[in-house]
Amino acid sequence: MRRIFAIISVIFPMFCLSLHAQQIHIDIEASGFQKFKVAMPTYAGPGDLAGSVWATCARDLQLSGIFDLISPQSYVNPGPIGEVQQGSLKDFSLIGSDYVITSTVSRQGTAGIFKVQMVEVSTGQLIESATYTSGEQTMYQAVHAFMDHILLNKFGLSPIFSSKIACIKKDKAAKQLHVMWFDGTGGNTIHGGGNLVLSPAWSPDGKKIAFVSYWKNNPDLYLLDLASNNVRQVSAQKGINTSPAFDASGARIGLTLSIDGSPKIYLMDQDGSGRIKLTTGWATDTSPSFSIDGKNMVFCSSRAGNPQIFIMDLATKNVRRLTYEGKYNSEPCFSPRGDLVAFSYRAKNDKFCIATIKPDGSNFRVLPGTGLGDESPSFSPDGRLLAFAGGDGNIYITDLPGTMTVPVTSGGGFSEPAWSPLMK
Amino acid sequence: MRRIVYIAYATMLLCAILILMGCPKKTLEPVTPEVSKTPPPVQTEMPAEQPAMKMDMAGESQGAGASSGKPSMEKDRTAFENTDIYFEFDSFELTPEARKALANKATFLNSHPRIKTRIEGNCDERGTEEYNLALGERRAKAVQDYLVFLGISADRISTVSYGEERPVDPGHNETAWAKNRRAHFGILGE
Repeated sequence: MRRIFAIISVIFPMFCLSLHAQQIHIDIEASGFQKFKVAMPTYAGPGDLAGSVWATCARDLQLSGIFDLISPQSYVNPGPIGEVQQGSLKDFSLIGSDYVITSTVSRQGTAGIFKVQMVEVSTGQLIESATYTSGEQTMYQAVHAFMDHILLNKFGLSPIFSSKIACIKKDKAAKQLHVMWFDGTGGNTIHGGGNLVLSPAWSPDGKKIAFVSYWKNNPDLYLLDLASNNVRQVSAQKGINTSPAFDASGARIGLTLSIDGSPKIYLMDQDGSGRIKLTTGWATDTSPSFSIDGKNMVFCSSRAGNPQIFIMDLATKNVRRLTYEGKYNSEPCFSPRGDLVAFSYRAKNDKFCIATIKPDGSNFRVLPGTGLGDESPSFSPDGRLLAFAGGDGNIYITDLPGTMTVPVTSGGGFSEPAWSPLMK
Repeated sequence: MRRIVYIAYATMLLCAILILMGCPKKTLEPVTPEVSKTPPPVQTEMPAEQPAMKMDMAGESQGAGASSGKPSMEKDRTAFENTDIYFEFDSFELTPEARKALANKATFLNSHPRIKTRIEGNCDERGTEEYNLALGERRAKAVQDYLVFLGISADRISTVSYGEERPVDPGHNETAWAKNRRAHFGILGE
């Protein structure tokens, strides 16, 4: 884990031109929102490096949820183009581009230089021209810095490319904690937590990951400090100690324990002290997720005869049922915006899909996803996107309208994605 | 037909013997959920271990320990470990077949009073990871409770849930799933 941070060479954004573009106002919530069409000819520079940086940028544009890349096959000039010539803009307006992105990628010692321009096709306005430097092996960092800059400063959106996904990765016979940038770059499998590690959950400050491990032959809960790599035991009660989730303050962890017989949801401090029981009854209660305002918790319970999603008012402990569609709804995840709950829903064809519902129980929606059996949704830090595990064992990103479903891993063996808060 | 009747008589007789012999103290106690008052968790800083998470793995066994048995009991022992208890989808209810199989388990445990067992609760791959961990726990507990009901001392039986993590059949069809919704018995030693 330390390596991830060590590898990140400092990125220097150098703004070469004074930019005259203002922030573009977009209402991505609007039902009629059309993604911006982007043309991106191949980059100038050494083929291997320029090619891989182009591919990362192409995927990140898609993952942003607001851009659509126009297929390079339709370009009049497919590149390489290092800089946009005003005279060539009509070539891009002909194919319907809103923006064109060009770049020159070069090497300087062990560093890589990503000089990038973004032009608004209709006006010819240069909306971004910057140079980002990163380690040659970590050029995705330069692309992330570019994407974050565009999202934050040009479109007023959260810089989500500074966020990570923790997930579980099959490693031979073992299952290990795996942490990567949310677009799948810079992945690192963290060994040493035993042969079976499950259910990662980020602390709200992004500094710790709670996880379940069978290190002592029982599903117990541990806490990994990412800066030191130190692991501390949180809970090792008899029975299960599973499905961790930090509460809104980050001080306490919700989890499932079976110390009283049937699995119930408890809340405890990070050292396992101050334990309180949140749910009661004979049923199976699991998978807590807390709202950012600290007022509510959603969870999965079998109290209605099969697994369904319920919401608890933490002050009064009143519980209300949210889902009535289908006979198996589980793994709820509260949006960081507090306005939506995503969960795994078993459709009529018995395949699992990702579905969303409002905390008042209205607006049940099923996302198209992969159609292969989608589970374990986790919201992006700005609540615009969802990560989930597809039936082929890869992690996918989708937007809430369901206009895109993009894999960020390949080869399978991945499960239980947990999207981090924004990393500073 | 006559044979079936004989078998039925034999089974009833066996049950009667079981109840008379096997449960001298705990005769047909009602099934009460076990409430364990475990001490608060010990906060352990794991010893450092390069280059990964600092959890010292040395000397820790990841599996249940095996022990050697006398040759005469090998067959019973193998049957005990190899006969799984099966469940319906999203259920931890014991079927009549499961109860029958558990009666045999109780016989074995009664005739080997020093053996301790660990029940592993498992689920098929359908359903979600976290719910299945809870369901596997309930399956293991249901089996444990029934064995206690049959007179086996609770301190001889431990449980662990593996959720959907330990399928015996890697297939993606009902035949495979049916085999994977199971409680498995391991012998922990004598």
